[in-house]
Amino acid sequence: MLNYVMRRALLALLVALTVSFGTFALFYFATDPAQTIAGEDAPQEMVEAIRVQYGFDRPITVQYVDWLGGVLQGDFGQSYFWKQPVVALIREHAKVTLLLAFSALAVTILIALPLGISAALRPNSWVDRFALSTAVSAQAIPNFWLGLMLIILFAVTFPIFPVSGDSSWRHYVLPALVLGASSVPAVMRLTRTGLLDVMGSDYIRTARAKGFTGYRLIVRQALRNALLPIVSVLAVQLGNKLGGSIVTESVFSMNGLGRLAVESIFNSDIPTVQSLILLFVLTFVLLTLAADLINAWLDPRIRMG
Amino acid sequence: MAIRCPVRVVTFLISALAAALWPATAAAGPDDDTLVVAFSKALTTVDRLYSIQREGLILSRLTDDGLFYVDPDTLEFEPLAAASYEWVDDTRLDVTLREGIRFHDGSPLTADDVVYTFQWVLNEDSDTSRGAVIRGWLERVEKTGPLSVRFTLNMPYPMALRDLAISIPLRKGGTYDEDHDDGRPLNGIGPYRVTRFSAGREIVLERFEDYYADSPKADPAIRNMVFRVIPDEGTQQAELLSGGIDLMMDVPPDVADNVSALPGVARLEGNDIRIGYLTLDAAGYSGPDSPMTDLKVRQAINHAIDREAITRYLVRGSARAIPYACHPRQFGCDSDGPRYPYDPEKAKRLLAEAGYPNGFSFKLWAYREKIIAEAIVNNLEAVGLDVDLRFVKLNVFSKVRNEHRMEAFFASYGSGGTPDASASTGVHFAANSSRNYSGDAALSRTVLAAERTIDPEQRRRLYRQALDRIAEQAYWVPLFSYSQNYLLTPALSLPVPDDGVPRLWQATWRP
Amino acid sequence: MTLKETVDQTDLAAPSPQQEALGLTPGQAALKRARHHLGLQLGLGMLLVMGVFALLAPWLAPHDPYLQNLSLRLLPPAWADGGQWQHVLGTDHLGRDYLSRIIYGARISMMIGLGAATIGALIGVTLGIIAGYFGGWLDQAVNFLVTCQLAVPSLLLIMALVFVIGQSITVVIFVIGATHWVFYLVVTRAATLRIRELDFVAAAGAMGASRWQIAVKEILPNLVNQIMVIFTLEVAVAILNEATLSFLGLGVPSPIPSWGLMIAEGKTAMFFQPWLVILPGIALFVLVIAINLLGDGVRDVTVTNRRS
Repeated sequence: MLNYVMRRALLALLVALTVSFGTFALFYFATDPAQTIAGEDAPQEMVEAIRVQYGFDRPITVQYVDWLGGVLQGDFGQSYFWKQPVVALIREHAKVTLLLAFSALAVTILIALPLGISAALRPNSWVDRFALSTAVSAQAIPNFWLGLMLIILFAVTFPIFPVSGDSSWRHYVLPALVLGASSVPAVMRLTRTGLLDVMGSDYIRTARAKGFTGYRLIVRQALRNALLPIVSVLAVQLGNKLGGSIVTESVFSMNGLGRLAVESIFNSDIPTVQSLILLFVLTFVLLTLAADLINAWLDPRIRMG
Repeated sequence: MAIRCPVRVVTFLISALAAALWPATAAAGPDDDTLVVAFSKALTTVDRLYSIQREGLILSRLTDDGLFYVDPDTLEFEPLAAASYEWVDDTRLDVTLREGIRFHDGSPLTADDVVYTFQWVLNEDSDTSRGAVIRGWLERVEKTGPLSVRFTLNMPYPMALRDLAISIPLRKGGTYDEDHDDGRPLNGIGPYRVTRFSAGREIVLERFEDYYADSPKADPAIRNMVFRVIPDEGTQQAELLSGGIDLMMDVPPDVADNVSALPGVARLEGNDIRIGYLTLDAAGYSGPDSPMTDLKVRQAINHAIDREAITRYLVRGSARAIPYACHPRQFGCDSDGPRYPYDPEKAKRLLAEAGYPNGFSFKLWAYREKIIAEAIVNNLEAVGLDVDLRFVKLNVFSKVRNEHRMEAFFASYGSGGTPDASASTGVHFAANSSRNYSGDAALSRTVLAAERTIDPEQRRRLYRQALDRIAEQAYWVPLFSYSQNYLLTPALSLPVPDDGVPRLWQATWRP
Repeated sequence: MTLKETVDQTDLAAPSPQQEALGLTPGQAALKRARHHLGLQLGLGMLLVMGVFALLAPWLAPHDPYLQNLSLRLLPPAWADGGQWQHVLGTDHLGRDYLSRIIYGARISMMIGLGAATIGALIGVTLGIIAGYFGGWLDQAVNFLVTCQLAVPSLLLIMALVFVIGQSITVVIFVIGATHWVFYLVVTRAATLRIRELDFVAAAGAMGASRWQIAVKEILPNLVNQIMVIFTLEVAVAILNEATLSFLGLGVPSPIPSWGLMIAEGKTAMFFQPWLVILPGIALFVLVIAINLLGDGVRDVTVTNRRS
């Protein structure tokens, strides 16, 4: 097991390096960060001075190795645009994104599980059809558009929740709804099929034969076995939320990592983009690793059943 | 589908939206004598020496004073911290300071502080944002008395007062020393002092009660000012309607129209020194065979664009179509050169004469005001040109522009608020400027000569000569001057600035 | 995740017992089931209508979608106060007819969806066959690529690529395609691994066909059904991706009438001219749901799956 984890970690490192050098090269060849730092109306002398001051005139390999050397010593560099350490910048923005991601996950669970379970309990009933058509619709709604519609709706009809910003818990309600909705179809379908599978399996039939009946049976036995794999899927979904937060944070003007990423791309703030990508890659790898470990841990149990 | 949207619905909608918003952190308005202003972009520092953002300029005019300032009414450069000044000759300027000026920490301003400030800027290691520009003309600054200094220039430079007024706030001696830390975000001499600075969120100012009484900026009416960073325009609108902020600047005209139709919002329209223009690659940098090297083609493009319609319907407000490569409000912006009225038929004829009866394809680069760029493209396609609009972010734009790879670009320039053609015509046609796509060495010599000439009449002549040449050769398509829209709470009274930079120390509450 | 499910549930096993019992070929059985599949018919119908609009846009659109009229900016839809029947759905901020732009938008969406899904399929299938058939270090290399691809949020990657390369329809198609091939690869690789062991490939090998020939001639045809299902669903994903990209300002360039771009352009006036945001969103929703219904339907009728 340890060996497996080590191999995964090594792979992750290699992936991170490949991706980060790729990004670095892309930005190096296509953009002029000096102008962004200097501003649109900056005189030529100023832009040149900044170019030298930040070392943008050096060859790409030198710049990359320089940056990488810093990272290895735990120094992720200064943001060109914000002129503060990237680590501080990320720490400041991470709170919003984490809060958003977890509340979105909660929304997903609260909607998808009950729907999936009730659909599985009565396959082909109206509940099942309703659940499936919800899934199909939710899958087709563009996330950002759903956000805009909620903003219009909540601004007019139900002025309960604020429609932009991130300064109180109420600001998170609508964004979490939007971001959470995007995972509902997947988790819902998975719950439904998972539960149907388990209910058709031998040990449930045995249990039924032994006289367990009705609701308790489902809750006690089937659900537990069907839901455990979903936990591993949720781990991956949490990773997806980080990516999804790019759009949601932009729509609701929240100062999170997603928006920081978008703005850093626009500003060719390379140290920030680089560090964010490293962070995203790391998070993804950790979450999938967690999912794999959960699966591995579950497997024998399921076989035992 | 609720698509009817007359004013009644909108009123309801917006007031609901306003109610929906979380109450603002600090109540804005006359009740607690606090003016809350929205900034769209975050300031990374409150030190003007290290930022050139427009937000920084607006803020710096409250917290800092330079030796000179821009008179809001005349747009002339007048003494501020300086009591008087005198040109000894073309390259020597004597300045006497006012008495009784104090820094926010209570210490008096002396000639030593002035010398320190300029020595810091002249020091290459200080990396101030305007250092390179100042070093271009300023040799040294010496103390000539307890309250007097002498500037020695390394060449005659008519815009010296401008640079002193706009770029260099005065700093306390020792401010940038390694071990210096007085716990203040900024120690200036301006009418307001910074009490809190939280990058990316807000800047809080308080009136400085020891401000020197003989300053032209003395006795501001409002006690507290808060600048809140709200990047999203919709949020700004909602905050304005709910009373969370008192002033929005740089409002796009459509938004200003929509929002100012609602009760509880006032609108101001003012000039801006900013101009919009197209630059055409007359030099053939993007390719020696570029059609843009042909004068007839450049003239055709000038005739093809309906700048009047674009100005009237899209830029609006006090914006005007401009015929020459400078803002009409700027000194030296006079020319008798040819004008190119909107005439698509003539444009087509000129293209045919140039050997392009069926037009040609080219890329038009742009980085701001996409709507206007699209309208320009539409005009150009109407005379048979095939235009590929490359709308990109500024950093990409400037990379391509600096590498001289553009055939044509739509850009704008604010001249740093300077009402002098040196800041527009001069900057764009200087020999070393990456914005210069004319390849016209004689023209570059003319603008350089103007920049080294003190005599106003002679300067005026040189700029006229340059502008005539630019118009004859159609190096540019001058488009329009901009207009500034402000949305504010009706309780606030603010003189409309002529150069697009609000002087907030002049703000008052309506009785 | 429908895709993931498809991948999980598809089984390359021979015709189901039912089919054999009825004595139908797989094709006939699929057709028979299609006739009773409401979702499939609904999706196909909606898609056909939109396809007709996309194809015949020049004849069906009342105006040129690029034609500006600055004096008729921001007209509301015809039935609202101040609307004109000449511009049934009103005009945008440059006075262009909104209905015409929405009709042409269908073209753009479909073009990008089909284009990106095709490119994704080409990449995924090729890599899948290579990895599955040849195994060894090639399989490892492909696996590494997949990990790289999955580890970075694809939207962020796409945005960075488009930002750096520059905006155009072609770039958007290629970049979306180049970041959406993993599902094709997983299916193809798994299937190739299994097919490789089957008799007919062994036979072909014995007859002296090269490995590559075997891959293309023998393996590919067996995968068509599954790839078709993934393709359909990837078209929908690509369309949503393009809309999102354009909404964030890094998709197709103006003045091309992309629905996502239209929503972005209408966003600043969303409280005052809401139709600018609502209408293109509805169009997008209808198109994507039609494609998804079709994709789900095709999967249900062609691919044997465990639930029914």
